Amino acid sequence: MIQVIALLIGIAAGIWLPYNISSANSPYVAVAILAGLDSIFGGFVASMNHRFKLKIFVTGLFCNAVLAAGLAYIGKLIGVDLFLAAIVAFGTRLFQNFAILRRMGLEKLEEFVAKTRKKEDVETT
Amino acid sequence: MEKILGLKITVARGAIAIICLIVGLVISLQIKSVVRNTQLDATSAQRVETLVADLIKEKDKNQGLFQQAMEYKSQLEQYQDMAAEQSDSAKLLAEQLRKAEISAGLADVEGPGVVFTMNDSKIKDSGENINAYLIHDQDLLLVINELRNAGAEALSLNGERLLATSYVRCVGSVVMVNGQPYAPPYVITAIGDPTQLETALQMPGGVVKALEFYGIEMALKKSDHLQVPRYSGVIDFKYAVPVSAADAPQGGSQ
Repeated sequence: MIQVIALLIGIAAGIWLPYNISSANSPYVAVAILAGLDSIFGGFVASMNHRFKLKIFVTGLFCNAVLAAGLAYIGKLIGVDLFLAAIVAFGTRLFQNFAILRRMGLEKLEEFVAKTRKKEDVETT
Repeated sequence: MEKILGLKITVARGAIAIICLIVGLVISLQIKSVVRNTQLDATSAQRVETLVADLIKEKDKNQGLFQQAMEYKSQLEQYQDMAAEQSDSAKLLAEQLRKAEISAGLADVEGPGVVFTMNDSKIKDSGENINAYLIHDQDLLLVINELRNAGAEALSLNGERLLATSYVRCVGSVVMVNGQPYAPPYVITAIGDPTQLETALQMPGGVVKALEFYGIEMALKKSDHLQVPRYSGVIDFKYAVPVSAADAPQGGSQ
């Protein structure tokens, strides 16, 4: 819940701030956004499994972001769109983590439904 | 575990929330910038396109108006001829008008003369100021002045008639003559006595010798039959008005 509020505050602040990213820098920012989204989903999955560690979360976020930005920069120098590699890697992980979250959510829903049915059965009998 | 505003805050939630905040901020900034940048690109491209279209339209219009002006001019000539046939005084007037038109540059003229072609120097890597090896307005003006001194009666530069009010001026890499840009090679056509015009240009210590030093490419061609076109623009005097006979200065000084 608090994460959603934080996201909304961030978006509002971004709209309000009178700062613009130049078109030369927007590929790096795009990669950085993906790194951030990847970390968010990874962190969700880890906290759901009760194995969230702050050190891993922070280092993962920063190292991934730096690596992705570095790839984008080198790609620009040698004329190959290397930032695509970062986008594909982050995208794949995003979908994997999302799949895990979806399954966990479904399992919880099923458990909840089964429990309420049992309760109803107990009450009716 | 702490509680803020009734929400349970764990390390995981707090950390993820902070990243959510940053990601949200950057996403909205990025969207805003991308929208703005694409709009900027679109408007600048559109602007160029509309300007080009406008230019072409204006050029067409200009061409049409020029044709029309030429038609009216020939009609006017016909009327003048008709009037001249009717009376002697009209004939005299028409003759005077012809002469005035020639000297004003308002009539196509033909006759013997010289064609003088100038092009930039081919000397490369001279180490000196590169500007010395390009043709400048002064060089053209020197040549034109020399030709006028030698009795040239009609002059044109790259087909643009040189009038009494004409200017030749460097603007960037081209020269403007009568408000039209011209690029090298510069072809000066002069109608006059060909031999006199040639000797005026070729004389020792003259303009050709001076420009040869810098390797400016020059070619002189004498011809018995040359054409110099009329001035195609409009001569419009805003400030100069003829002095009436009563106010005319007597004896040069007042």
